[in-house]
Amino acid sequence: MDFELPGEDHPARKPIRAWFDANPHPSGLSLAQAGFVVPHWPRPWGLAADAELQLIIDQEMKRAGVHVPRNPVAINNCAQSLLTHGTEAQREQLLWPALSGEHIWCMLFSEPSGGSDLGALRTVARRDGDHYVVKGHKIWTSLAHKAKVGVLVARTDPDQPKHKGLSEFLVDMDMPGIRIRPIIDMSAHENEYNEVFLDEVRIPADRLLGKEGEGWALCTTQLQTERVALSRPGAIWGHGPSARELIEGLAEVGALEDGAMRDEAAQVYIEGEILRLLAYRSLSDRMNAKAPGPEGAIYKMLAAPHGQRVVDLAKRSQGARGMIAGEKPFPSQLAGDDPYDDWDHAFWFSQAVTLGVGTQEVLKNVVAERMLGLPRDIDPTARLPWSEARRKQSGG
Amino acid sequence: MDFALSEDHLMLRQSARTFLEKEISLARVLVPGTTVEDASYDANWRKIVDMGWPGLVIDEVEGGSGLSCIDLAMILGEMGRSLAPSPFLGTLFGTWAIQKGGSPSQKKNLLSGIASGSIKMALAIAEASGAVDGPCREATARRQGEGWSLTGAKSFVIDAAAADWLVVAAQDEQTGRRAFFLVETRQPGVSIDLLPWRDVTRQVADVRLRNAVGERLEGEDAVLWPWLRDRVVFALATESAAGAQRVMEMTVDYAKERTAFGRPIGGYQAIKHSLADMLGQIECCNVATLYAAWALSQNDDRAPVAAAMAKAYTSDAYMAVTQRSIQIFGAIGFTWEMVNHLYFKRARANAELFGNARTQRARVIDLVERKAA
Repeated sequence: MDFELPGEDHPARKPIRAWFDANPHPSGLSLAQAGFVVPHWPRPWGLAADAELQLIIDQEMKRAGVHVPRNPVAINNCAQSLLTHGTEAQREQLLWPALSGEHIWCMLFSEPSGGSDLGALRTVARRDGDHYVVKGHKIWTSLAHKAKVGVLVARTDPDQPKHKGLSEFLVDMDMPGIRIRPIIDMSAHENEYNEVFLDEVRIPADRLLGKEGEGWALCTTQLQTERVALSRPGAIWGHGPSARELIEGLAEVGALEDGAMRDEAAQVYIEGEILRLLAYRSLSDRMNAKAPGPEGAIYKMLAAPHGQRVVDLAKRSQGARGMIAGEKPFPSQLAGDDPYDDWDHAFWFSQAVTLGVGTQEVLKNVVAERMLGLPRDIDPTARLPWSEARRKQSGG
Repeated sequence: MDFALSEDHLMLRQSARTFLEKEISLARVLVPGTTVEDASYDANWRKIVDMGWPGLVIDEVEGGSGLSCIDLAMILGEMGRSLAPSPFLGTLFGTWAIQKGGSPSQKKNLLSGIASGSIKMALAIAEASGAVDGPCREATARRQGEGWSLTGAKSFVIDAAAADWLVVAAQDEQTGRRAFFLVETRQPGVSIDLLPWRDVTRQVADVRLRNAVGERLEGEDAVLWPWLRDRVVFALATESAAGAQRVMEMTVDYAKERTAFGRPIGGYQAIKHSLADMLGQIECCNVATLYAAWALSQNDDRAPVAAAMAKAYTSDAYMAVTQRSIQIFGAIGFTWEMVNHLYFKRARANAELFGNARTQRARVIDLVERKAA
């Protein structure tokens, strides 16, 4: 057992640092082609990097002040499905623009009728010759207003039970019949989320991802956002400030002199350090070739409320001034170009982190059922053909 | 970088678990009215001596096995998991004090005897308030010829009544500074009073000294105590982490078996979510204590923060887990004949001894601030 992170003299570090020295302002495409956007993928997209090399690349990128293209849905969640389930043509057409950030992606998953119960979705895709015709209503879609590609999950067989009749599609977001309406969330920041209305959208059949009926398996894999969490300790889904910055900030404004605040700050700091260790442990499990398991769910279960505590304490340190829009708690901390780097925005946004990608309650069910083997929740609709379950429900 | 335990460590842990599950029974403690004296305390110790555990951290040349803190964590954890009543912990604490603070002849006189199981130790440092860090007000030491004479009181001494030798913290009357002394327990100036300690799986006593003869440990307080404190709090944290894990396992098993309203109670979200929270806390306990074990085994600069973080986190988590366990078991979990209360009491004792969670957190943030400055 060895808790030491890869050192300055690690042999893998040299060529990476040399690349960033030679390319101080790389384009998204050149980062992607160098394999730095998804280093854990096989070549040519990645470097088949083990966890240690991934960590080194993250560190060197940070050192060089370079970010991977901002395309989280593709890079962290969905594009990987094309490697195993996509056709050659889909990979050819979609992967490089996704990794370079030229095509922003979004996930057309949640619906108004049920967020965490994703399998109950109602959007239907009906086969019509060499097209599928899609009708439905999606909600909480991050980045839909900027996206070129939408990963859509829709029901292709209503006579199967709810989780079985689903399929995934790669949709061009500029197709006729797609209408996007922004949702202004409580942070009042530039909108993060959208509603997406799909009205008789005709998707070419070659944009089916994987096979018909495989949609549930694909989207549950895509929702495991593990890699994001792994290398990033930030309060908002791994982004933004961490507990270490919290302590620096509180010290700067003298808030640590208050005994109660000091104790709470220490508590949050310790949690943050332990979460870092947990993240690194998952990395070394990867290196020891243990398959990724549901421990990603434990990590999110712990990290999301921890992130809320980090930004909450920063906000409380401001007292009444914290209610003034845009007021910075720690004046000398410079915000980066990530919107969550702004402490004030991060706080008002933070209610979302225990809601997004499944609520905290659903996550606790996953942890209890998959890791502790406790009985599953009762879902009276799970085994019925979906069409019948719907009839019963609407019949009241 | 490899944060996982090696095969060797896992084997060491498994062999300790197999031994303790076979040899240690809490049956006698689960009779109402029991005290630590009924808890097979001495019989357990003889078995532990046969395993060679008194010498785990003692060098091989002195008859021990020279294990690192990571190795030790495997066995300490299993002791915490089993709650095995025995003078193991007191002896370990005394051993560490001699290892860091003893002169060559003090080490020579005691360590091989400890390793062979013929000498038991205890560490007498706390004041009546429970404080272990401040100046020593309640016990003083005066030079007398070649040796020292100690007078005063020490509190909350784990395994004192079983010990052959105590390591006692007392104020040197001349310098006003705290120093550590070896005091043999079998002498007229030493009296040891067992406390009616709620955690009946552990023996805890007060010690009174009246012109007791002692010899000074060479190590200075400023060097010896930080080193010793990091190890002591790491040991308690490791016990707590593993105890919490055991409590979670038995509570999960119970929640799967016990039915109410036609379903196992573990199927209801109120119970399920509580158990998911426990698992989260236990993952944190485990990684925090292993990190402390690693940092101590490397004599890394981060060891003091790591040990304090582990003690802070496990103190709160172990109390929360054992409290929830009693609630999930329901009324039966509130009875003396179940083990739930034994863990609950151990959790509270481990949390309070050698600095509670808040004290540890204060140290963490002091250290972090100092590093930043």
